[in-house]
Amino acid sequence: MLSIAGIANSIHQWLNETFSSGWATLLEFVLVGILVISFFAFLGLVLVFMERKVSAYMQLRVGPNRVGYKGLAQTLADTIKLVVKEGLTPDGADKFLFNFAPFLVLIASMLLMAPIAFAKDFQIWDINIGVLYITAISSISVIGVLMAGWSSNNKYSLLGAMRSGAQIVSYELSAGLAIMTIVILAGSIRLSDIIASQENGWWIFKGHIPAIIAFVIYIIAVTAETNRAPFDLAEAESELTAGFHTEYSGMKFALFFLSEYVNIFIVCAIGATLFLGGWMPLHIGHWEGFNHIMDFIPSSLWFMGKTFFLIFLIMWFRWTFPRLRIDQLLNLEWKYLLPISLFNLLLVTFIALMGWYF
Amino acid sequence: MSISAMFFYALSAAVLVSAVLSVTSRNIFRSAIFLLFSLISIAGIYFWMNYEFIAAVQTIVYVGGIVVLIIFSIFLTQQAGVSLPAPMKGRMIYAALASIAGFVLVVMQLLAHPFKVDNSVVASRGIKDIGHGLLETGANGYVLPFELVSILLLAAMIGCIVIALKPNSTTA
Amino acid sequence: MSFLIDYIRTVYKSVRSLLIGMRKTGYYFTHHKEIITQNYPENRDTLNLPERFRGEVVMTHNEANEHRCTGCTACELACPNGTIKIVTKFDITPEGKKKKALDTFVYHLELCTMCNLCIEACPTSAIKMDQAFEHSVYDRRLLTKKLNKPDSKLMEGVE
Repeated sequence: MLSIAGIANSIHQWLNETFSSGWATLLEFVLVGILVISFFAFLGLVLVFMERKVSAYMQLRVGPNRVGYKGLAQTLADTIKLVVKEGLTPDGADKFLFNFAPFLVLIASMLLMAPIAFAKDFQIWDINIGVLYITAISSISVIGVLMAGWSSNNKYSLLGAMRSGAQIVSYELSAGLAIMTIVILAGSIRLSDIIASQENGWWIFKGHIPAIIAFVIYIIAVTAETNRAPFDLAEAESELTAGFHTEYSGMKFALFFLSEYVNIFIVCAIGATLFLGGWMPLHIGHWEGFNHIMDFIPSSLWFMGKTFFLIFLIMWFRWTFPRLRIDQLLNLEWKYLLPISLFNLLLVTFIALMGWYF
Repeated sequence: MSISAMFFYALSAAVLVSAVLSVTSRNIFRSAIFLLFSLISIAGIYFWMNYEFIAAVQTIVYVGGIVVLIIFSIFLTQQAGVSLPAPMKGRMIYAALASIAGFVLVVMQLLAHPFKVDNSVVASRGIKDIGHGLLETGANGYVLPFELVSILLLAAMIGCIVIALKPNSTTA
Repeated sequence: MSFLIDYIRTVYKSVRSLLIGMRKTGYYFTHHKEIITQNYPENRDTLNLPERFRGEVVMTHNEANEHRCTGCTACELACPNGTIKIVTKFDITPEGKKKKALDTFVYHLELCTMCNLCIEACPTSAIKMDQAFEHSVYDRRLLTKKLNKPDSKLMEGVE
């Protein structure tokens, strides 16, 4: 049967037969890199268009509808505009760090693509520390933001970067604890094992109360981590004039913009993997017929469907809620999310020990 | 030279070059960033050795924790953007002498120690083994250091809360 | 214990209020008939402008080419940015007396902010806001308009 995993395997075999194993690995690096970059470009186009349409409909507008069929070419036109724009570097900026920061943020996003399972048996790197790797790498991107804010030599950028740093560092905690809930239930931190453990039902159903609490906390925390409204104080165009990327223009700005959307995709993909079963089709207990019908839908479609559902949820938040103040933001994390997720962790440990999940 | 060895040399070069740049840079923020590169490259070496857990912990602790802390303290410092003045000649000579002495000492130790190549295959230790090992009291158990570190962290956290608490004039 | 109950109540209340907000935007997202944006150049003939939309100042004239402006310059004084300039002349009334009357009502559309103060200041309701908004021209001078029609007269009985 033709599947994405099959194609990937045959390419791998052909490369290993034609070249020595070291060169084959190197060629695979290049191939995967090109694929990831083109996937990024695709994601940028799709997600920006989706965001503009979703926001438009939620605000009783129509959104882009002139360029191309139903406005589909709008983001392409915007991209061309950004590419041909001059990338300005301010005079007082630290030139090296200023130009390096957007790449660091994007590299962090690229590294995060590695453990995501896009379809059945289709994963760049099934690393055995799965979720730990994700937590580790996602902490690199905050350095890129801090670097951008500092090197711009602009007080708004510096303030934005500091807000962003404080925000990401504190919300990483509750995101990590929410992930831990599923790790306890699944008994493994390798992502393929976590997906395999959801064969007879997704964790959000199987783990009932603690899984739902963890899911809500995870969604809130990752919304904050990706610096999106209602947690967009780091950018806050009305007070900080776009925060850490005030001074960026042209393609360097586009890289920040792109990495924001790629990060949304990544956190939603991880959320879908942990709570909604990744590429696993919807299976209900022992309903053999129903399960069999669900298996006919390709696994990549399941994965993409779940991920885009979560992305839509996060966009829904953005266009509904007003921005939080910095003290409200830290109160929410340290007085509500963190105690609740710690308590939830205790609860889930108890439930896992007693075997009270399905 | 195999590709694997090439990766090792590239990573080691990255560690050393960024470490040197971190020390010689006259801008404190750049020093912090080069330190970050050095630490990430060390994590890369761990990945190259297939010690993923150590690599991830290295990244979490040093990149997500310590470097962010350093950067924040730089942000909160007065005149952090001004490059430092070049150090005095005399100090430079003494510092160079001290570091050369340290380097010689380390190299002597390295040369004195016969490194035996152990070809026996070590069973790769999974996360479960690491977890059990941390709480074991037996030969390979690390329960005492684990608990000591826990108490240290707890003390630090309580200290933070005590410092951050505003003295309440009405109740005190 | 009451602290804990308060805590849980706060969480419950905030989650509930957030859900109410999300229900509203979710309703708008699924009900496209609520959209108020209009496909402007296509629906130019059936354009549905809101009642209070202001496009430009016009002077009303009746069928006999008469307007209600007495040339009192109340609008000129009320205008915050000098959009209106009233040129007056002296008519000779049948009794042989001189009477001040409007000669030209100069209106600089390019300066107007549609603040409506002139309309409110007018004692005789001679001017009003119109909804025409397609004002683009290639020459700035075309935006300086003369509001009273040629040979128009003051309406009888308006003082």
